[in-house]
Amino acid sequence: MLKRLNESPRLDIFIAIIIAVVSATTAFAAWRASMVSSAAGDAIRQGLIDAVKKQAGSSEDWRRTYEEAGHAQTYAVALAQVEAFEKSSDKAAQSQGRNMRQYLLPSLQLVTELTTDDKYLKEDGTYDLELRFADLEAATPDLTALDPTASFKLSDQYSSEQRWLTVGVILLAISLFWLALSQLSMKRSRLVTLAIGVGIYLFGLAWFGLVELIFFSVRGGAL
Amino acid sequence: MNEPQVLEPTERYKILIVVLTLITTIITAVVATLQADANIRANSANRDSQYFAILASAELHRSGLQSTYDLNTFAKVLLERQTELMMQFTALEMEQSGDKFGTALSKISALVAKARADKLTSFSVFYTDPRYASKTTDGTPDGEAYLRDSSKLANEIVEKQNTAADDYHKWSSKADSYVGVLTVMAVAFFLFGLAQALTGRMRLVFAIFGMVILLISSAWTVLILVV
Repeated sequence: MLKRLNESPRLDIFIAIIIAVVSATTAFAAWRASMVSSAAGDAIRQGLIDAVKKQAGSSEDWRRTYEEAGHAQTYAVALAQVEAFEKSSDKAAQSQGRNMRQYLLPSLQLVTELTTDDKYLKEDGTYDLELRFADLEAATPDLTALDPTASFKLSDQYSSEQRWLTVGVILLAISLFWLALSQLSMKRSRLVTLAIGVGIYLFGLAWFGLVELIFFSVRGGAL
Repeated sequence: MNEPQVLEPTERYKILIVVLTLITTIITAVVATLQADANIRANSANRDSQYFAILASAELHRSGLQSTYDLNTFAKVLLERQTELMMQFTALEMEQSGDKFGTALSKISALVAKARADKLTSFSVFYTDPRYASKTTDGTPDGEAYLRDSSKLANEIVEKQNTAADDYHKWSSKADSYVGVLTVMAVAFFLFGLAQALTGRMRLVFAIFGMVILLISSAWTVLILVV
């Protein structure tokens, strides 16, 4: 009876149908693994673009901070000079100090917010450059909000998923091999190889589904 | 009396070849997984090396701006101190030569230079920061410590970048080597396929060729994995 079943054309058709289903599943799994790999690449690309934009913005803010620091320093030194003139007993110096305070200092003061806004003035008479930089950064929230590490974290998740999906694809490919072996064989082992092939296929399918489910929930519902 | 069962020439070694093909399939699956893993690791390391390069570049730009500011301030302090000293000498000379106007002018200039220098000193890390300020009155600031500190962060980032770049080369090279192994595995598959199609001694010959190829590729895989 077993011999009859082994050589039955119906079994041939059954195995052929299973091979077709497994082939389609393997192709789908390979496509999905490729999609996940592509998503990882996209996240890396986005992260690098964000990093360049964020650092360019930050560099510009530092440049402005130090440029303004130079102007503020010029103002502070001019003010010290004016005070020295004013304290002098020389009338020409006092006059020079008075005129500098009236005409020169207001112009120098207007160049930068470091000298117009008291919040930047420190107790020692210098200026709080870190605070000025923080304010300049806050003025460009779209650039400051960029977080390359978030994109890299996402790419790591996709890469990790790709790693496990590849294992699933390989399991499916192995099941295909056993099923092909079962199709070619006409002996008693045909049913055994068929059972192994179907078993590996089901295991691979479950593996694939589980990996997808885990990473789907880790990403908060994003494919 | 039972005679020993003799297999037909078409069936001889067939099971052996099936087993060998199965082993090759499993090894190929393992190598394919290792290749995918190496490729993923190479991509991550490549990403990190590029990210750290961007960070290093930005940090170098920032520290360059800071150094320019700090050194300019320091140079201005020196200039004003020298001017103050020079104008004091001049005032002394004018006083000795009886030039009152010249003396007063020089004294005012020295006074202004001192005021400017004092103010600039408060802006200079070389005088205000205890890490760089001179420990003695006539000493010079610790320029070496300043340079070391100003490039410290950039150097740390560059070090991370180098490590990531090295990792990228390592994993990329491994991934490439695994592709080589997979190619050789394909040859083993081909030889076992041929062996399955042939009969008699030729089947065994091709099976042996396939086994040799399989052993070489397995050894190569282990070598890649270990090194």
